[in-house]
Amino acid sequence: MTKRTNTSYWIAFSIVLALLIIAPLVLPEFWRRFLTEILIWGLLAMSSDILIGYTGMISFGHSAFFGLGMYGAAAALLMFSPPNLWLALAFGLVASALIALFVAYFSTRLRDIYFAITTLIFSQIFYVIVFTWTEVTGGENGLNFPRPRLAIPGLFSVPFTSETMHWFVLAVVTASYLILRRVTRSPFGMVLQSIRENEPRTRAIGYPVERYKIVAVMLSGLFAGLAGVLYAVQNRFAAPDFIFFLVSGETVIFNVMGGIGTLVGPIVGAGFFLLMREFLSRLFGDQFPYLIPLGVVFIVMIIFLPQGLLGFARRWLNR
Amino acid sequence: MSEKWKEEDWAQGVWYSGKVTRRRVVGWGGGAIGALMLVPAPWRAAFGQAKPYKIGAINPLSGAGAAGGKTALVGVQMAVDRINAMGGVNGRPIELIVADDESKPDVGRRKTSKLVDEDQIDAHVGGFLSNICLACMPVWEEAKIVNMISVCLDTTLTTTKCNRYSFRVHDYAPAQAVAFAPYLIKSLGKKWHIAYADYSWGQSTRDAYAQEIKKAGGEIVETTGIPLGTADMTPFLSKVTGQFDGLLGIFFGKDGVTIGNQAYDLGLTKRYKWAGDGAIAESTNLPALGNKIEGFVGINRYIPIQEGPFNTPEHKKFFDESKARLAKIDPSGPLPDRYVQSNYEAMNALRVGMEKSKFRGREDTMKLIEALEGLQMKLSDDFPTGDKLLRKDDHQAFPLQVIFEIKDGKHRIIETIPGDKTLFPPACKFAST
Repeated sequence: MTKRTNTSYWIAFSIVLALLIIAPLVLPEFWRRFLTEILIWGLLAMSSDILIGYTGMISFGHSAFFGLGMYGAAAALLMFSPPNLWLALAFGLVASALIALFVAYFSTRLRDIYFAITTLIFSQIFYVIVFTWTEVTGGENGLNFPRPRLAIPGLFSVPFTSETMHWFVLAVVTASYLILRRVTRSPFGMVLQSIRENEPRTRAIGYPVERYKIVAVMLSGLFAGLAGVLYAVQNRFAAPDFIFFLVSGETVIFNVMGGIGTLVGPIVGAGFFLLMREFLSRLFGDQFPYLIPLGVVFIVMIIFLPQGLLGFARRWLNR
Repeated sequence: MSEKWKEEDWAQGVWYSGKVTRRRVVGWGGGAIGALMLVPAPWRAAFGQAKPYKIGAINPLSGAGAAGGKTALVGVQMAVDRINAMGGVNGRPIELIVADDESKPDVGRRKTSKLVDEDQIDAHVGGFLSNICLACMPVWEEAKIVNMISVCLDTTLTTTKCNRYSFRVHDYAPAQAVAFAPYLIKSLGKKWHIAYADYSWGQSTRDAYAQEIKKAGGEIVETTGIPLGTADMTPFLSKVTGQFDGLLGIFFGKDGVTIGNQAYDLGLTKRYKWAGDGAIAESTNLPALGNKIEGFVGINRYIPIQEGPFNTPEHKKFFDESKARLAKIDPSGPLPDRYVQSNYEAMNALRVGMEKSKFRGREDTMKLIEALEGLQMKLSDDFPTGDKLLRKDDHQAFPLQVIFEIKDGKHRIIETIPGDKTLFPPACKFAST
């Protein structure tokens, strides 16, 4: 990146960030919450981009990381009174990291479709465990829990409002983006991209490919878990449906729509997908199967915008 | 000013000198009516037609629960149309705002927020899948909106997870077990094996039956949990062997069809007495079950026949209209099921509460809650399946229970148990509001 494009990038980044900061002050309640949700799903999509876009591994296990982050947070919020935000974050992150390590250990020995299927199977195993272990997880009904306060011990403690929730989520997503951006540009990130481009050659050079893959899955799972924690805190419930593989499928769709290997693209993809779904459900009414036109939009995008929205925007800007 | 001022120059622009013809009157009149129709709704609401009450209705219209969600919507829509035809509530019409939760809790939660924040609904009637009902309950509570649960059966909705804003106008598993267990022991046998849908509703219903069967002097020999949506139940059912009198099934929807067919194919329904939750033999399931469901004994709050307690003009009216409406969404012409019934009655209970409390909008939610608490519903066009009480302590209703048998592909009443004989002690503590 040249100095000029770098400056343009940071200017654009600051403008978008400023708009997102101002948004809850001007948006009505429903759209305020909707935007916060887009950011959370965007974080989940961005976490999977580490694998899909940078390492070339399509994961269908992200629903497990996301859901277990959610249940980890739920455990903390139900166990401790008063509910503590930072304990929820810690529990959620530990839960998702442990699960990611477990999944990574077994699945990274496989490549391509075999990796994808293994992650899918793991997510389904966790789904069945959560679904049937009713005494602990609430089974199909899931868990409801109180929302913690936004607090820094010794400094302040205020209840979350939809505005402060949005800013908190925005801060976490922005920090996550900057961390992941740094990681993908580090030597470690370069090795991941090298694995994506040519795994045998990367191994031949002397890089322990499996170890890199394990770290990539863990990193990706950790941020997916973080998204799960945010979702739990915002909505005050956890349900096994979030561990079901369909959530992983939607995550892949967010990536493809937004542009894989861009980090920001999956957030854009999540926003586009959720807005389209909302728009189509309003346009056609709730009694019409509006997911059909959404599917058509997706197919059209695959054919005409294979690089996703961000890829298209980049190409258009560089004309 | 002279009498001929209209002919003066200055008056030419302001005085219409043309001839008033019928064509002109009709033309301008038509134009005026058209313009009135185009006047924005808020203006009309303020100065013209009474402002409608907005009632939200969330049901699964796509996804796993779609089939039942669509019949549920028929029930609530039918009630709203009838109320509007009668002049509305407190002189105001009802506007039904329908939302599809896609059988997913996150979507349900988002649609609930939309109904609350954007559509500004006054109350809600709906909720089909228990997990979605539970996920959305805190939203209704936070927004202080009355939530009439119209299908969800999970026991905890009106026990450990109850709140002051949510009401269930239909039954729940403990009351069904109180009604059914004595019959099972007395007429079918003492030793039972329970096969159940292995998730919250199935598990809580299993526990309720286990408790009541023991209380009635019976015994649960074993239980078999089968995961929800299992297409091939044979591996589970092949283990259902041993010495016991009856097999009690707790399933609904597609799973009801699966267990009905596969238990028959494995000979279980011949070897043992075959009984269970009425949802297995719901009218919408009967065509898929064919003669394999013959002899099944079940319990339900509603069966689509016009005999016994349902042999009333009120029920006939409900039955005929819901059958006609169901035929519009399903050309096979299914008979009404309990989802149509409970949605219809939940909406009517809300109407009664709104009239009783002189409800104006959300600001009167507490008055509406007080009007609904302890509501006595009497057999009428509003409540065509008979009397029931909406208990104040936990907002749980106790409708009539019907023990039935399937004979020649149709429901046949064996016994009816009045709602007040199915009472189960309340287990709800409302948080202070």
